[in-house]
Amino acid sequence: MKKLSPNTNIMKIVLTLLIVFFAVTAFGSKVDDLIFQGSDLHYKGQLDAAIAKFEAAVKIDSQNEFARNHLGILYTKKGNLNRAFKEFSLVTQIDHRNTHAHLWLGIIYLKRGNLEKAFGKFTTIINIDKNNADAYYFLGAIYTFRHNQVRAIEYLKKARDADSDEADTHFRLARAFHNLDMLANALLEYKRTLQINPKYTKAYNQIGWIYYNLGKTDRAIAQWQKTLKINNRDRDAIFNLAKAYNDEAWKALQAGNRKEAKGFWRKTLGVNPSNKAAKYYMKKHG
Amino acid sequence: MKRRDFIKRMGIWTAATCGAVGSPLILPTGLFAEDAFTLAIQGQNLIQGKKFDEAAKILEKAVKIDPESDWAWGLLGRAYYGLDKKAESVAAFRSALKLNSGDTYSKMMIDMITQKPIPKIKEAAKPQTPLEKQAMEEEAQYLSKFKADTGLGYKVNRIVIDAGHGGFDPGAVGKNGLKEKDVTLDLALMLQKRLQGKYKTFLTRTGDYYIPLSDRTVIANQYRADLFISLHINANNNRKAKGSETYFCSEKASSKEAQKVAALENSVLKFDEEKKQKPGHIDIEDVLFKFEQKLNWSESGKFAKNFQAKFKQDLPMKSRGVHSANFYVLRRAKMPSILLETGFISNLKTEKMLTQDSFRRKIVDSIVRGLG
Repeated sequence: MKKLSPNTNIMKIVLTLLIVFFAVTAFGSKVDDLIFQGSDLHYKGQLDAAIAKFEAAVKIDSQNEFARNHLGILYTKKGNLNRAFKEFSLVTQIDHRNTHAHLWLGIIYLKRGNLEKAFGKFTTIINIDKNNADAYYFLGAIYTFRHNQVRAIEYLKKARDADSDEADTHFRLARAFHNLDMLANALLEYKRTLQINPKYTKAYNQIGWIYYNLGKTDRAIAQWQKTLKINNRDRDAIFNLAKAYNDEAWKALQAGNRKEAKGFWRKTLGVNPSNKAAKYYMKKHG
Repeated sequence: MKRRDFIKRMGIWTAATCGAVGSPLILPTGLFAEDAFTLAIQGQNLIQGKKFDEAAKILEKAVKIDPESDWAWGLLGRAYYGLDKKAESVAAFRSALKLNSGDTYSKMMIDMITQKPIPKIKEAAKPQTPLEKQAMEEEAQYLSKFKADTGLGYKVNRIVIDAGHGGFDPGAVGKNGLKEKDVTLDLALMLQKRLQGKYKTFLTRTGDYYIPLSDRTVIANQYRADLFISLHINANNNRKAKGSETYFCSEKASSKEAQKVAALENSVLKFDEEKKQKPGHIDIEDVLFKFEQKLNWSESGKFAKNFQAKFKQDLPMKSRGVHSANFYVLRRAKMPSILLETGFISNLKTEKMLTQDSFRRKIVDSIVRGLG
């Protein structure tokens, strides 16, 4: 075999290093391009095209957590929970501190209806990141589903303190306080919900109940009417108003004021034309 | 390639190509736009030269002058990121995104940075409003008094008791004239009395008047009940039919008969529109809503089994078991809810029993035992 001169060897090494350098840079750049294109497509709702980009990216760089997380979310959106679960699990194996992947695993458990496992995942996140508003939020929500209001308040307050810009957090916290009859706190959090999102009709509906249960019927009705201005098909507001008008009609009838009662039943039928009670009593006292 | 390297590299790369993705090169408008624009250009150049500290200072000025410039906010996010101030970077990118929801670059950066823990920005304390003060006092006074259970078991504190039918709707009527609406009201009142002290209870009606189906669940939601119990007495054309049964809400009917009953009830309602999901979109609140609904249905099933087991033990009648169907009246309740049918009023023997106080007490005792 022919021996190479030292100079040729040096040249070869330099050349190889150069090739490796350019190859790595080119690969890196290629992955960057794919990820950026994939993200852009994903955010624009072109899911299949985005999946193709991210799948190409992880073929080049299998350890890329961001690309795998995106793939996981895309598979979840496409309804392929098994593949999504696999991607997120892989990310947590690459780096256990990737709380985003843990969070989505928790969400998949929620979609599968697995309470304990979802709870476990969100707890794992808190163990990694004491400031994770999302994990606190989900834990708080789970406690509200179990009607454990004290625990729900504990976690939802932490979620609120970690990120006070989420209307949903304020709303769920308000509900938990409301369920314990802590009305000042409930009202405060409902109002904070509406400051962030003035179209959060569920908050108007609940504030309505606070006023209604305190005997402030007019103020309650005003809240539900606000909801209907935002969404005239909101079923909660429709039924709440119908009930309130029916109650008022009964009170008027019992006080001997048939005309006023009829006025309220008319209002009931105005919001809920199929309300059997209002229909019947209107006819009866017609 | 490491994600961090990628972001750093992309911070430079996108400065040159941002026009291609259609987000940051939007000219800021408004009264001070020119100044803010000049500062933002300077900031962009400094970012390209990796002088992140100077860039951040200039861009902070730019967003002060024109807080509506999503472009300047996005650049500030990149400058902070270059300084490894991740929380500040995310906050700046969020501001950019609030102003321009189509800014996919800022969205991507937020997603990337928040994949792992980031430190929290300390917010300056604000003066309290009167409602905030009142809320704090309320919390100090009450919250510590409530017991906090750590388990994930379902907690029942408030119960709404629904006496079926009423007013012009007598429900089923026995051969000897006994009306379902009278029996259910009496049972509801007795049950409320029995549960006093242990639970907070509420009735959907306290007298002989009609309440539409929709109002019944509205009342359960009004009082934020943990459990909704609807009391009914069964009837059948076949006078020999007898026994007790319990219904709860589920997606699929447990039998053809249950499906029929649910279909009949549901047919009168017009407002039940399912929320349509956008394809390719995940609504987390919808995921939580469906999860809660599933939990409530599963919890309803457990309650139904408990009640029916006690009926089987306590009542001198056959147990017809537990059934489920997609009942509108139960589905609209935002808590576990069950419908109890304690005997057939159409059966002469049962009708006679149902007129007796002792038998009604037995039913109520059995329900109380079913609650555990």
